[in-house]
This record gives sequence, structure tokens and C-alpha cells, in this order.
Amino acid sequence: MKFDLSDDQSLLQSSTRDFFAKAFSLEKTRRVMEHEPRGFEKPAWRQIAEMGYPGLLVPEAAGGQGLGPVELAVVCEEAGRMCLPGPLFDVQLAAATLAAAGGQDALVRAICAGEKIVTIAWRNSPYAGEAKHTTHLAHGRVKGHKYFVPFAAAADALLVTTAEGLALVEGPFQVTPLETIDLAQRFGEVALDHPATLVGPLGLLGQTDLLAAVGAGATLLGIMARSLEITLGYLQTRETFKRAIGSFQVLQHRTADMLLKTESSRSAVYRAAWCLAANDPATALACATAKAYAGDAARLVCAEAIQMHGGIGFTWELDLHFYFKRAKTYEMHYGSTEAQLDRVLAAAGY
Amino acid sequence: MDLQLSPQHLKFRDELRAWLKANIARPWREELRDPKQTEDSLIAVRRAWQRKLYTAGYLGMDWPPEWGGRGATEVEKSIFEAELALADAPPILNTLGIGLLGPALIHHGSEEQRRRFIPPMLDGSEIWCQGFSEPGAGSDLASLKTTATIDGDHFVLNGQKVWTTFGPWADWIFVLARTDSKDRYGGISFILTKLDTPGITVRPLRQITGESEFGEVFFENARVPKENLVGKIGEGWRIAMTVLAYERGAASLAYAVKYGRDIQLLADACKEHGRLNGAVREKIARLVVENEVMRANGLRTLANFADGKVPGPESSIEKIYWSEFDRRFRETALDVLGPGGQLLRHSPHARPDVDWAREFLWSRAGTIYSGSSEIQRNIIAKRVLNLPQDPR
Repeated sequence: MKFDLSDDQSLLQSSTRDFFAKAFSLEKTRRVMEHEPRGFEKPAWRQIAEMGYPGLLVPEAAGGQGLGPVELAVVCEEAGRMCLPGPLFDVQLAAATLAAAGGQDALVRAICAGEKIVTIAWRNSPYAGEAKHTTHLAHGRVKGHKYFVPFAAAADALLVTTAEGLALVEGPFQVTPLETIDLAQRFGEVALDHPATLVGPLGLLGQTDLLAAVGAGATLLGIMARSLEITLGYLQTRETFKRAIGSFQVLQHRTADMLLKTESSRSAVYRAAWCLAANDPATALACATAKAYAGDAARLVCAEAIQMHGGIGFTWELDLHFYFKRAKTYEMHYGSTEAQLDRVLAAAGY
Repeated sequence: MDLQLSPQHLKFRDELRAWLKANIARPWREELRDPKQTEDSLIAVRRAWQRKLYTAGYLGMDWPPEWGGRGATEVEKSIFEAELALADAPPILNTLGIGLLGPALIHHGSEEQRRRFIPPMLDGSEIWCQGFSEPGAGSDLASLKTTATIDGDHFVLNGQKVWTTFGPWADWIFVLARTDSKDRYGGISFILTKLDTPGITVRPLRQITGESEFGEVFFENARVPKENLVGKIGEGWRIAMTVLAYERGAASLAYAVKYGRDIQLLADACKEHGRLNGAVREKIARLVVENEVMRANGLRTLANFADGKVPGPESSIEKIYWSEFDRRFRETALDVLGPGGQLLRHSPHARPDVDWAREFLWSRAGTIYSGSSEIQRNIIAKRVLNLPQDPR
């Protein structure tokens, strides 16, 4: 037994951290947020592809890296730490789904090479519980309407959930941008009346859901770990009443809780990743647990980070709000807490 | 990463599981529910159970072979705890003796002390309690005032200990007493004392559950032979700190097993009452999530043990996690059960599954004993997060 990463996984972790730090500084992310409506820059995406990240989960024979859920968690945690802009995680999930479905070899290779961007269009309405539209696949065409499509404006093709199954639809698309609190995480509303191919049953997304829970959980872990680090730095240096504010017990105990939530998320996320990789009987429960817990934990940790910074924490100028916003986005997407709680109950047999 | 038990540990687990199946007469829950049982008769059940475990070689597994050991590590000990929880075995009676004093004697005691005290500690014939806390020394243990003055070949003990778990039934107490009033840490010694020594009075304290699992111990010129000193004069603090480190371990796993079963029983009860829907469903789901996170924390600690890593101050996280989760869980249980959840064990309509009312009350203890949540947060802030000390 060993909880720590293997040598290869540690190497992936350090090389990813170095690469993200060089290629995706928070200043750059800020520029993307403020000036780049697509939510990422093309040259940066080419660099990501050169590192092999889009095809991380795709078998080597199909043009990918052939890595698994633990490595996905490692990369996502680093992406969370840097509040990475762009569609990497969405593309990873789409590529893994297409590779698992089979029959789309050329497209999968193009995704792995960074030449095509494909994401998954899952949502039929902007609000939970509301069923505005149902998308249908009939006579080789997809007709319908999708909301909160990740990076729709940059997508070359979309994997679209329809009543008849999972459909692959090639662009161009008519996209209405949906701006949310997280300006580096771009979404669009897409009107569909396109030729399409049936990729397989919606059940294909079962595995994608598990990968999404692990990857999103790991991203949330990175988000809270970095928010805690930033906050600890502030508590050490900021003085009030002639003492570092970190010497006040009221803040010490709250930071202890931030660490508790962060490290407990780490246990849950990597356990889930390992279960999924090992096909353990606890996989469904562990994945849903990790995402549900990390979603709540990241929201609380990032909120505490802002509170402890005081006024400066509420400014646009400080980077802290990137994390607070990304945490909220990831809490809601990739299987919301509510959805994960349902899965938890199903997995526990209630 | 690898969270799968090794073949050797799986073998240990399977043998233990089979042994428990063959040897537990009835689950502890049922013993507790038996109207014929009293606090004293339950102690007898626990004593008999401990003897069985000892005879089968499951106590002191990680100690040297002459003291019952079999080369076990923290991994086997953690598996052992989790399996006892899974089988709903009676709690081991002499936990303070085996958990704290045993390691103290093995590391710091004399050969004579080990020979005299370890066998009856393991077989349950001598029960130990811990004389650390005092009315004026709880979290700030080093401010303790009980004195041990030397008179010929005896120590003369004066003072008072309090919150002494098992005090009312124990035969012996290991006492931290002051042998030098000027040296805060170096003036404390570790002394083994028989509770029927003249000058010692044990008074049970009634707890909020109505039980008297702890008490207070008064020392009035109680004379204790000098050979009952563990280590040297003034080494008591150091010994106490090393043995307290033994309170750690992958306890989260055993708790996750125990709470997992109780959550299942709570969900079953809600289903039975037609209430496993809406808000209740969400509450149960959140309990499952929190319990599974605790299991993940436990697996992580277990895997770290197997990987040769010794837990440091970050183990405070596990203590806070399980004890505070226990409180939330038991509160939620009473919420979703309705008024019946507050019924005492022998009351009409009390549920036969879990003593929900007692567990609710008992859950207030875990965040206080063995280092309160506040002390654990201080430890994390100072020793893990390296935040500045408070100005004095």
C-alpha cells in the first residue's frame, strides 16, 4: 500500500507544475479573462497539445498518452492551482469518451494533436429542474438547443446528448456567449440543426461522469490548496495591532479548518482516482463522494481566503477571486453536488 | 498509489475475520440492549472478551515477543481495529493500560515492572486508569499540582486527579505527579499506584449520559513504593508525551466502519417510517459523503503506515474530523428520527437498532477528550501551518 504518487506520477506533477507556471501565469490569465472572449489563446493551446495533455486519457495506439484517472487527477490539481484558462479538461473528457466509443480515430488523433477542439454539450436548460428543450437525433440530423456548452465558440465539433443517444456534431455553430462569474471559463448557448453521427448510447457517458467527478474534484483540490497557501502568506506578513494577523487564534483555528477540508479532499479525490483506475467495487461511491465533498470544501476555503484578506480580498486587482469563482463553477458543473448526492445514495443502495 | 491491502495483510484480515465470527457470542449492540445487563455486568463481558483476544494473541501485537508481540505493525493494528468495529465486538476493557501504559513500560520501564504489570494488563485481570488531568490542569497539563515527595523508600502522594476514565473500576492508576515544584516539565514524574492504597479515594462522576465511566481520584498522604517510578525522577513529562503519540493510528477506518453501519441503520429506519425522501434523503446522503471522506482519510493513513511513514502533527486532522463528524451525525439522527430518537434505551418504543439517545449525548465527549478540538487546531496552526505563536 502507498498513498503517495509513484515516481512517474510525481514527475508528471512537477513537470506540469513547471509548465503551467511558465505558460499560464495569473497575469496572463487575467489578460485572457479581460480581453479574450474565447477564454484562451491559440498559441497557449498549441503548447498544451505539445505536452500531450488533451489526449491524456486516450490510449497510446489511438494517439494519446494512455494514462489513467490518477494522472488525470495530478494534472487537474495543477490546473486548479493555476486557475488554468481554457478548455483542457472539457477536451480531455470528450477525447476519452470518443476513444472509448470507437469509430472516430481521425478525430481523436486530431484532438490529441491539438488540431481540433471538441467538448461535451450536456445541458438542455440554463436552470436546474427546467427542461426547456429536448435535443433529438433523427434522419442523420441533430435538432435542438444546448446551454452552458463549454467553450462552444472555439469548438470544432461537439458531443451532444440527445434523446436517441450521444451524437457527434461538426461545426460551425451558432453560439450565443453566456458570460458567467468566471470569465476564463467560457460557455455558450448553441442552436443545433446540423448533420450528425450517432456515437453510441448515452450510457457511454457513465465512465465520463466518473472521470469528470475525479478530474473536477482534483481541480477543486488544487484551487483550495493554492487559496490556502496564498492566505497563509498573507497571515504571516499582514500586521494589525502591531502583530501578524496569523498570530490571532481566531484566524489560526479557521485556517486549521481550511487545511482539514483541503487534506480531506485530497484523501477523497485520490482515493476516488485510485478506485476508478483499479476498478474497485467502491468506485461509484468514492467518485461521487470526492466531487460532492470537494465542491463544498473549495467554496468554503476560497470564501475564507477572501474574508481573511479583508478589503483587498474583495478587489478585482487581487487574484484571489479567480479561485473563488472557479470553485463555484466546478462545484456546479461536472455533476453538481445535488447530482453527486443522488449518485451517493444509489451507490450506497438506498 | 496503491490502496489495496498486500496479500500478507489480506491474509491477516481474513484470519481475524474468521476468528471474530467464531468467537463473538453476540454483537455489542445486543449486549447493551439486554435489560438484564448492568454497568458492572457489561464490564464483566468486556473483561471476558479481552481475555479471549489475549489468549488468541491479538493484544500487544506490535510489542516484543516476550510481551505478547508478533511483529505486527500499525497496519495490522489498524486492520484489527476496523475488523473489531465491523464485527461489532465489545470494546476492549483495558484500553488505557494496553494503549498507553504498555508502550510506556516497554520503552521506559524496568524489566521487573514489565514482568509484574504487562501480563495482568493484557489478560484483563488488572485494569488501569490514567491520572493526568487535574481540576487546574487540563489542556495545560504541565501545570499539574499533585505532588510526590520522597520519604525513605516511598513516594508520598497528595493532590487530585479528575476526568479519570475507568477510575471507578480500575485497580491501578498511572499518575503524573510533581517531584520538583520549580521545574515545569522536568519536575514531573510517572508513578504506578495501586488504587486501594490507604489515602486514595475514588469518587465516580456522573456523566451527561447518566453513566459513570469516569471519576475523580483523591490522594491524601498515599504512600507508594519507590520501585513504582517509571523511568527516572523528572522524566514523567517526556514519557507521557511519547505514550500519547500512541493514541494515534488509523482510527478513522474503524470509525468509518462503525458510523457506516449506524448510517445504514438510520437510513433503514427512515425508510421504515416512510421518510427517506426530500430533505431527509439529502441529510442521509451528506452523512454518507462525510463518512466516506473519513474512510478515505483512514485509508491514506493506513497506506502511509504501510509505506513506512510515521504520522506527525497532521494526525490532529483525523481527530477533529471523526469527533466533529460524530456530533453532526448523532444530531442529524435525532432530527430525522423525530421525538422517538430521544428515548432512553429501556424506554417503551426505543428502537432496537442503535441507542440513538445515548450516542447523541456521548458524541459531546470525543471533541473534549484526548486533546480537545481547540488544542488540535492549535497544534495544526502552529506545527503544520507554522503560523506565528500568540504573543504572551
